[in-house]
Amino acid sequence: MFLLPKGNPLFENLAVTKLKLPDVLLKLSTGGFTGYSSFVFQTSTVILVFEAGKLVSALLEDRNGKRQNGFEALSALAELMVSSGSGTMNVYKLSKDLTMCIHALLEGETLYKAQELKLIDINSLLGKVKNDRMNGCLRIYTEEHSAMIFYKEGNPLGFFHDGSGDIESSSSESQKIAGLPGAKIDLFATQSVEEIMGINLLEVANIQKIWDTTVALHQSEIDRTNKERQERDIKAATLRLAELEEQVKVIVGEYVGKVGRGIVDKELSENGGNSCLIDEAGFAKFLAGIERAAKLLISGTNIKAMMEKLSSTITNARSES
Amino acid sequence: MEKFFELLTQMNPFDLVQVIFWGMAGAISFYFSIGNARVWTSISIGFFLIFLSQAYGINPWGHYQKLTAFHYIVGTVAIMMITHGFLEYYVFCRTFEISGNKLIVYLSTLGILAASGVFLMINPNPSPNTIRNIRMVENAIWVFLCVMNIELVRKIYLAIKDSDISKGFIAFGLVFFFIFLWKGSELYLQIFQWDQDWQDIIALMTDESTDFDQYPARIQFSQEVRRYAGLLSGISVGGTFTYIYRLLK
Repeated sequence: MFLLPKGNPLFENLAVTKLKLPDVLLKLSTGGFTGYSSFVFQTSTVILVFEAGKLVSALLEDRNGKRQNGFEALSALAELMVSSGSGTMNVYKLSKDLTMCIHALLEGETLYKAQELKLIDINSLLGKVKNDRMNGCLRIYTEEHSAMIFYKEGNPLGFFHDGSGDIESSSSESQKIAGLPGAKIDLFATQSVEEIMGINLLEVANIQKIWDTTVALHQSEIDRTNKERQERDIKAATLRLAELEEQVKVIVGEYVGKVGRGIVDKELSENGGNSCLIDEAGFAKFLAGIERAAKLLISGTNIKAMMEKLSSTITNARSES
Repeated sequence: MEKFFELLTQMNPFDLVQVIFWGMAGAISFYFSIGNARVWTSISIGFFLIFLSQAYGINPWGHYQKLTAFHYIVGTVAIMMITHGFLEYYVFCRTFEISGNKLIVYLSTLGILAASGVFLMINPNPSPNTIRNIRMVENAIWVFLCVMNIELVRKIYLAIKDSDISKGFIAFGLVFFFIFLWKGSELYLQIFQWDQDWQDIIALMTDESTDFDQYPARIQFSQEVRRYAGLLSGISVGGTFTYIYRLLK
């Protein structure tokens, strides 16, 4: 997923689940923050770029490289913050120039993605950047580190790597990352800073409303899931009770004969249905009723054996549930 | 006590054996009513009352006409109690409902008997003809309720035939068959005025004639059926309760 160099960290690894998006954005906005904030989730990464407190860019990229921008990215971020249950937030301060480069990068177009550095003819690629007078960015990265080289009209503008607060002229960090095993590169074509619309997304999007709607949707989803789970539990309990009822009928029928099922039905209906089988007081009343009826039909020895069998069956069923 | 033994020696040995068997059957059924479910109470009390109704022959005060009439009323109450009990059992087989309690059954029975006694006390002394009428009514009720009970027992047996006690109801069917023959033959003799009571009445009190001598065979046959069926009834009731007691043990 998209990994930017870290810049000057203001906050790192804040737990997203404890944060509210409107509060975060309000804090960064009112503080006149310039830089970017990244939200790292298991499935996606979201980057918000601020320039003097204005939210100038929002980008979401999932693990498959699929991207969403602007309003969609903000909505998706709200949804991830509410529903993901994990994720971290980082805030890195950058210079205005570097911020605008990042902004341009995020608004730009991906030309090459995740190319193994050792498989690339880097010289001819850089030659093409120069010849085409490209505005763009070459990102060199591994799983852990990232560095960027910005180009303006084919000429290197400067470097951005972990710990930088501004565009730097030293290429040593970039070279170091390029030398790491498994290093890859992306090449992005960016628009010129002048072409990027300086819209403040906080002014055009009602973040509070997005957040509230997302929370409400998430809550309704939780409610629906809970309801479904409850229904499933009830259904499973009903099924278990029905199985238990059938077991009881078979036992009583075995001793009393075919009228046994009728006797069980009658006693169950008098004691509030088959739920009395797992209720201690209800089961005692149920057993007393069965015994009273059985006294008219079978011997005391058989009654005793039947009652013992019923008790052990119900006890087993209770311990299993 | 002397009078009691005098009565015993005067009694027809066959009738004495019959009373003894009914005494045993009554004792067994009464004992059965104590230790078993409520529905059995009416049935067993009813069979116990048969013994009381049959015991007039050994009652030292049996020459009192009101007491003789009371014996026959007790006999009527007996079959009504039995039928009530079997009806309750049948209702149980269909609905599995068991209601009421034993004490109410005992007290109700005593209440009915007391009311019958009061009825006899506040009315004139019954004549031999009245006593015979009461006996005939008793026999008629017995005959028709026996038929009904045979049907009830059949239905109960079909409902519970795979339970421990079901064969006991076949035995009850046999009991009612014997009682039907016993009471039916007695009723038959009464209806055609071939019974001993009527012969005694016309000999002493009226100038009516009888055709008793014209049908000696059928009268003899009916009397024999009455005697043996009465004896078998007593034996079968005692045997049935003993059998059911063992089935339910």
